[in-house]
Amino acid sequence: MTLTDLIAPAAIIPALKVNGKKQALQELAARAAELTGQSERAILEILLQREKLGSTAVGNGIAIPHGKLPKLGRLFGLFARLERPIDFEALDSQPVDLIFLLLAPEAAGADHLKALARVARMLRDPEVARKLRESSDTDALYAVLAMPQSSAA
Amino acid sequence: MPALDAVSIAILLGSLLVLAGILSSLLALRFGAPLLLVFLFVGVLAGENGPGGIRFDDVGVAYTVGSVALALILFDGGLRTRFASIRSVLAPSVMLATVGVLVTTLLTAPAAKFLLGIGWIEALLLGSVVASTDAAAVFFLLSTGGLRLRPRVRATLEVESGTNDPFAIFLALLLVEILSVGGQSWSHAAVTLIRDAALGTVIGYAGGRTITFVLNRVDLPQGLHAPFVAVSALVVFAFGNSVHASGFLAVYLAGLVVGNRQIRAHNSVVAFLDAITWLAQIVMFVLLGLLVWPGRLGDNLVGAIVVALVLMLIARPAAVFLCLWPFNFQWREKLFISWVGLRGAVAIFLASIPLLVGLPGASMYFDVAFVVVVSSLLIQGWTVALSARKLDMSFSRADPLPRRVELDLPGQMSREIVGYPVPANSPFLKRGLIPNWARPTLVIRKEEILTPIEAAPVREGDYVYLLAPPEKAQALDRFFMVAPPPRVLDAEMLGDFFVPGEATLGALADIYGLQVAADHADVSLATFFTEQLGRAAKAGDIVALGTIALLAQKVKDGRVTTVGLQLDEPEAPATIGGRAKALMQKIRKKLSR
Repeated sequence: MTLTDLIAPAAIIPALKVNGKKQALQELAARAAELTGQSERAILEILLQREKLGSTAVGNGIAIPHGKLPKLGRLFGLFARLERPIDFEALDSQPVDLIFLLLAPEAAGADHLKALARVARMLRDPEVARKLRESSDTDALYAVLAMPQSSAA
Repeated sequence: MPALDAVSIAILLGSLLVLAGILSSLLALRFGAPLLLVFLFVGVLAGENGPGGIRFDDVGVAYTVGSVALALILFDGGLRTRFASIRSVLAPSVMLATVGVLVTTLLTAPAAKFLLGIGWIEALLLGSVVASTDAAAVFFLLSTGGLRLRPRVRATLEVESGTNDPFAIFLALLLVEILSVGGQSWSHAAVTLIRDAALGTVIGYAGGRTITFVLNRVDLPQGLHAPFVAVSALVVFAFGNSVHASGFLAVYLAGLVVGNRQIRAHNSVVAFLDAITWLAQIVMFVLLGLLVWPGRLGDNLVGAIVVALVLMLIARPAAVFLCLWPFNFQWREKLFISWVGLRGAVAIFLASIPLLVGLPGASMYFDVAFVVVVSSLLIQGWTVALSARKLDMSFSRADPLPRRVELDLPGQMSREIVGYPVPANSPFLKRGLIPNWARPTLVIRKEEILTPIEAAPVREGDYVYLLAPPEKAQALDRFFMVAPPPRVLDAEMLGDFFVPGEATLGALADIYGLQVAADHADVSLATFFTEQLGRAAKAGDIVALGTIALLAQKVKDGRVTTVGLQLDEPEAPATIGGRAKALMQKIRKKLSR
């Protein structure tokens, strides 16, 4: 299992500089808007709506903000490695430094859920997280995300 | 000159006793015995009937020393209490401190009457003597036991113990008066009580404000700030008492006021009072121990023990459950508050009043109070930590708090320097994270002083000093705490995402495109769990919601507080290799537990 079908090298930010959760989401929404041609406002809004339900930080310094966009063509992933970890209101109260944003078309249904589960389960692997933290450029990060999970673990 | 020799010997004996008290704390810590009890026994051992053989029966001296010590302990208790943390428990605590004391007195009295064969008024006096929880004992056990109690329970206990002494003292004095000079009308008593309390409140508040004002305005020599505060506290106390207000209430409130305003030399004041409080505890308990005459206890021993049991098992729980009934506490919280109603020096101190005024049979109060206090410290004090664990009152993690050093900046009240050693595995070391209101200013590495820039990256074993507002300093602790290893959960248990139990089905359905019946949209996940399970939830329960599974990740009192979302079927380890690996992981997990 790899995440290459969800994410392109262009959607990888190797060292994002942000001071907080809100700013991180704004930055990611802006980048996602650029790459998908969707409205930045709409993206940010659905992300914030999901955060309101409960933080998408899943523990161990990883967050996976996500949401559905009506006009999106296909599943879209964006990955950012933060220069400095930030507080993301995680349950384990660990600061977050790895963020994977996943947007899905309104109609994606089960695919959306399967993709989200895939991202969550791959990043949950401590080995994957460690490799992502150690990689500092786009190519290296993409290589980790492209790695089939069974060999990454 | 024999007169001078006698003084020298008295000083020698006194200081040796206190020294014995101080050193006995080592012993107590080793065996987990309640320290106060140990102090008391040092006194008993040194006394007339013990090996020490010191003859001490000056109730007047004991009363004076006890008053001063108690005033300082109460002031210190107030000083350490953050007003923000007690605001929400003010009503329940005050209820406990007034009605609670009365109920405890009324329920203990019958036992005393029949077991000890005394009259009703005497029995009520005895009840009031042992009715109040002891601030010294409660503050002390809660802070030294390393317990991290639920904040509301802790605050309730602390405020209760700080405010109920005045009421118990009042009750006891009233009954002593009735016994010695004859009856009074109840309405007169009520008026006196209200006047004492109101006047005490005013004096305490005004005193606290005055102390703060003078401290911040007058340029005292450096070392005199803390003594100024301590002695002023005694002035507030004594002034209150001499105008027939409740000096104990006043001094506690003054401490509360001083502790919650910005003051100069805050840390040295706190450190000084900490030291003084220790000394006060030791001196008071040793002295009270000296005053007891264990040989005399024999007559009333069994009766006194039963009175103590009635107090612990019936009177106190009844008072707590009654007083907290309107306040929506859980029954376990009420049970814990009942159990931690520790009796201490106040009881013995109050029991010395009948001796002081020369009531007939006065030593009986003293003996019984002594037995009650010893049983309480022995049985309840020893089991505080255990009961907190059993009743799920303390946070299960017993991580030691980091060693925080706070330093005053002269001429600067809004900032201080806070220092920490950097432990391995702390959030600060691992992530360099710090709140934006704190600024690292210097780092000490192997006796070398570095700026944060020179020191970057910080290493384990460094000492980091930060500038921070004093009231927030404590919040820095968690960044320098050794983080507990992440909990190992069963892979099947782990949700992909987590949401709080109060999230609604509708909100979840909206985001994940799930089908939910219209009349269910406003139902919370926690309720949904209970509904689907048909029973109280427990951690690990799984219920289906459309195509996803909800996992009960964290459960409190049968309601799910954190829900794990499993968005897709858990992957079955398909290959033989995968299966073997899963098995290995399981074994490893079992072993690491």
